[in-house]
Amino acid sequence: MKRQKRECSEPSNPFDVLSEEIIFLVLDLLEQNPLDKKAFSLVCKSIYATESKHRKTLRPLRQEFLPAILSRYPYVSHLDLTLCARVSDASLSSISNACPSNLRSIDFSQSRLLSSSGLLGLAVNCKNLVEINLSNGTELKDSAMAAIAEARNLEKLWLARCKSITDMGVGCVAVGCKKLKLLSLKWCLGVGDLGVGLVAVKCKEIRCLDLSYLPITNKCLPSILNLQYLEDLVLEGCFGIDDDSLGGLKHRCKSLKSLDMSSCQNISHSGLSSLISGTEGLQQLTLAYGSPVTAAFADGLKKLSMLQSIKLDGSLITCDGLKSIADWCISLRELSLSKCPGVTDEGLSSVLTKRRDLRKLDITCCRKITDASIAYIANLCNSLTSLKMESCTLISREAFVLIGQQCHSLEELDLTDNEIDDEGLKSISRCSKLSTLKLGICLNITDEGLIHVGRTCSKLKELDLYRSVGITDLGILEVARGCRDLEMINVAYCKEITDASLLLLSKCSHLRTFESRGCPLISSFGLTAIAVGCKQLTKLDIKKCHNIDDNGMLQLAHFSQNLRQINLSYSSVTDVGLLSLASISCLQNITILHLKGLTPNGLAAALLACRGLTKVKLQSAFKWSLPQPIFEHLEARGCIFQWRDKVLQAELDPKCWKLKLEDTEVE
Amino acid sequence: MDPNNRLSGNELRNSIPNQTAFSHFNTQHPQKWEDPSLIDYSTRIEPPFQGFNQVKISQDGLGNEMRSTYKIQDWDPSAMLNNLSFLEQKIHQLQELVHLIVGRRMQVLGRPDEFVTQQQQLLNADLTSIIVQLISTAGSLLPSVKSTLPAAPPSVGQFGQLGGAVFPLPGLNGGVQLQNTNGSKVPDQPNQSDISANCVTEQNLNIEEHDLKEEEDADEGENLPPGTYEILQPEKEEILAPHTHFCTICGKGFKRDANLRMHMRGHGDEYKTPAALAKPHKEPSSEPTLIKRYSCPYSGCKRNKDHKKFQPLKTILCVKNHYKRTHCDKSYTCSRCNTKRFSVIADLKTHEKHCGKDKWLCSCGTTFSRKDKLFGHITLFQGHTPAISVEESKALVGPSDQKEGNQGTNKAGSMNFNFPPNATSDSGIQSIMDVKGNTDDPAGIFSPLNFDNFGGFGEFPRPPFDDSESSFAFLLSGSYNYSQKNEADDNSNNLA
Repeated sequence: MKRQKRECSEPSNPFDVLSEEIIFLVLDLLEQNPLDKKAFSLVCKSIYATESKHRKTLRPLRQEFLPAILSRYPYVSHLDLTLCARVSDASLSSISNACPSNLRSIDFSQSRLLSSSGLLGLAVNCKNLVEINLSNGTELKDSAMAAIAEARNLEKLWLARCKSITDMGVGCVAVGCKKLKLLSLKWCLGVGDLGVGLVAVKCKEIRCLDLSYLPITNKCLPSILNLQYLEDLVLEGCFGIDDDSLGGLKHRCKSLKSLDMSSCQNISHSGLSSLISGTEGLQQLTLAYGSPVTAAFADGLKKLSMLQSIKLDGSLITCDGLKSIADWCISLRELSLSKCPGVTDEGLSSVLTKRRDLRKLDITCCRKITDASIAYIANLCNSLTSLKMESCTLISREAFVLIGQQCHSLEELDLTDNEIDDEGLKSISRCSKLSTLKLGICLNITDEGLIHVGRTCSKLKELDLYRSVGITDLGILEVARGCRDLEMINVAYCKEITDASLLLLSKCSHLRTFESRGCPLISSFGLTAIAVGCKQLTKLDIKKCHNIDDNGMLQLAHFSQNLRQINLSYSSVTDVGLLSLASISCLQNITILHLKGLTPNGLAAALLACRGLTKVKLQSAFKWSLPQPIFEHLEARGCIFQWRDKVLQAELDPKCWKLKLEDTEVE
Repeated sequence: MDPNNRLSGNELRNSIPNQTAFSHFNTQHPQKWEDPSLIDYSTRIEPPFQGFNQVKISQDGLGNEMRSTYKIQDWDPSAMLNNLSFLEQKIHQLQELVHLIVGRRMQVLGRPDEFVTQQQQLLNADLTSIIVQLISTAGSLLPSVKSTLPAAPPSVGQFGQLGGAVFPLPGLNGGVQLQNTNGSKVPDQPNQSDISANCVTEQNLNIEEHDLKEEEDADEGENLPPGTYEILQPEKEEILAPHTHFCTICGKGFKRDANLRMHMRGHGDEYKTPAALAKPHKEPSSEPTLIKRYSCPYSGCKRNKDHKKFQPLKTILCVKNHYKRTHCDKSYTCSRCNTKRFSVIADLKTHEKHCGKDKWLCSCGTTFSRKDKLFGHITLFQGHTPAISVEESKALVGPSDQKEGNQGTNKAGSMNFNFPPNATSDSGIQSIMDVKGNTDDPAGIFSPLNFDNFGGFGEFPRPPFDDSESSFAFLLSGSYNYSQKNEADDNSNNLA
């Protein structure tokens, strides 16, 4: 009988033969697209049940469903609530009641306010919780910190931009969460020496400490440097720390691997050298927007033989300083000199000749360097993987050919606002590993060059053609054919682009970000193709695409269920189109300026219907044409309004636009 | 017994008659002898120190009598005379010693070196001891004694150096006794050089303890060599008596003698004379005998003279405050915070000045007026944590997002929009309102009647969004192949 039953049931459900392991493997492969996973789980009951065991990460769109979701997925370890604009008390209590035993990490980083009683319940019930992200909790008070302090096993805590907490709250955390390994207090302006000092005294396990922009002084430094395991210390923008206080420091933090002292205006080379004199293991040093980098400064780096990365963005740097860095930092792999006035061919070449192992180089806006430097880069640093050289205005179009000839390891190349032409682009297309290529405002390139890129750079994931007006459908055609992994493309203000490009790009199924501002030829037809083909589209900018209307929106609303952010300004979308977007459940961010067909009533309906909105950019005229309670209601739901009062502007000719930019620079 | 030792014992005895003026109080208060600690003390002590012991007992007697007399005895000529005669005696002894040394020098030749050095060390010790006694007694004769006290610690240091000698140092021994006040330990020590070392270390210890604890009456650093001051020990009753000055006519009590004098004016013209009103014994020349130091009557207290490391209190007020703070109940409660309690009313008043300003609170209940003090405290103690004030946490609970959200909803719901899908989205808001209306009223939740009112309870978890979505269906239906999702689909769709 039993056998018979089996025989009867087997043909009815062939999927029962699949073991859990096999289904797990299939689910692992479906990790890329959440929608696929959902579809797979709906095949049959057993797969549905297995899927609930497989899922480790949850990112709910609506907190209302939390109880149901948590009971469906009992093995979840990471709960990401960043899509819920405001996490309510009820949600917090449903989490702490369900409290999956595997739950280790919760992210609240988009919630401005959580009640302290709710947090207390969470901290007390979920004993396995080791990571909590409360960043951007601008309205969290010390009592919330006292609640968090009850989570005794907490190891990582992010409190960035929690502006209302003070030393008292941080003190509670320091005493309660003794196992803390990571603590970020960035922008917690109410926290000073006392709170930070107490953390350093009580939490001996700390590895990473972010104290950016805190009003701390030298007083808490000794105890921080006494932390035995401290590896990563960020002191960005700590204006209260100065040379005088650092000079007398006796403590040396031997375990330190990464130090960030950007924007510390009161620290010169003497203070820095006394701080890092004992830290032989230092690997990363970030000193952006700091004091001038001279030879004396660089001499302070003498003993740091392990130093691999130096970032000096925005600091004045002398030729001698660069030479000393080249001499002392024997392990140098990454050098960032973005916006450093004073970088010359001589200084840069001294680094390049001595440190040929360089992997990453950022010379953005180093406007004094010429083709000579590029020749050094091309000839000496063949293993370079990342080169960022936006706006290096003195470099001629010939120099880019050299880069393409020599630097075949390049994966990231930023040539924004340069003189590169089709010859250069053709040469660069030899870098077959390229995944990010930025060609914004390169007015000399045309389809001819881009076709080469499309044919050879098959690994390309990001392509920026912003205002590269020479590009038309022909170029995009080749890119869309050759680069099927494309995730981001920006064709803003390439006025020749038509729906044909969009039809081709819709074959790039991984496309997440599509930006086509100011492309007047694009219509709803093209957009429909993108919506149907690119299911993972999360970010869409169709500002000033006058031909896009409600039809496009309706299709988008139906197919692009992953869309998070959209800019519709100046398009022909009306009430109906906007309202239809409400069916995209994860839509968070919309910009709707100068929509001629939009009425106050339509706007109100759309805003109320889009439950997940967190940020809306609107014309200030609507502020007065709609009843105030609507905005109060939406704000209570967690939506922020940004009011703009911009006058309609006629679009400038691209060449003229660049000339205008140069004029203002001269001024 | 070493003759020198006896000598010092004699000296002490000699000093007893100095106090004879008070000795008769002993007979008046014989119960003092029955104090067990004192008896125990005297039995443990070897005979040579008996005299010294007696000195103290007589002082105890003095303390008892103080209630009526100590104010008048600011200056005692007889004591001064006694001191002078004591000095005279000492100078004679010194003379003799020096003669002896001169004599020795003559006989040095022909003697074994070792013996000579021993003899000399012995003499040196004697000399030092006598000179120290001379200086200290002479110092007490000075008009402003308190500021010009003999520098005791240096002389102790000297003793320490001398203590390096192999021989017993009888003169020094006496010094040690005096320094410790409680001599019980010393006779047990077979090696006297050890004692001197002990003495020095003990002295240091005392100083260290002072620095650490910052005792209330702030007599740190004052290291009066014993014998240079007299120890008074007021009775417990005297300390706790609310008034110490009583009118002999009507019996009214006063805290201050000056107030009593003002009061006396009411009892007759004879009290109104300038002489009667003036502070008695104001003449600057009339310098009293020894400086007075006070002992706490609570046995076992560090401020009690029988304590091993006795530290005297400077004034009678200090004794009173000390006794009340340390050994009495804290009967004054701050009317503002109702938590802080004090035994000295002045402390309460000081506290009340700052009460409420102590906003830095520790979980152990201690408050601090300064944040850094609180954090210092928390740094020191394991498990203590900053306490967040109740007002703040209350304020936080109040405007919870839930309420705000629903307030907004209520308002939005009460309006009427003119847009086409008006009815549906409005009803969505309305449904929130229903739910809210019920959850707001705790009684309503338990009342079965209210459940009838909103039958949509099953739809509670469904957000208004769903309603509005279905309302848009008419826009999308047919031409766009838009299908309604079922419940399960909804759930899974809400996961990104």
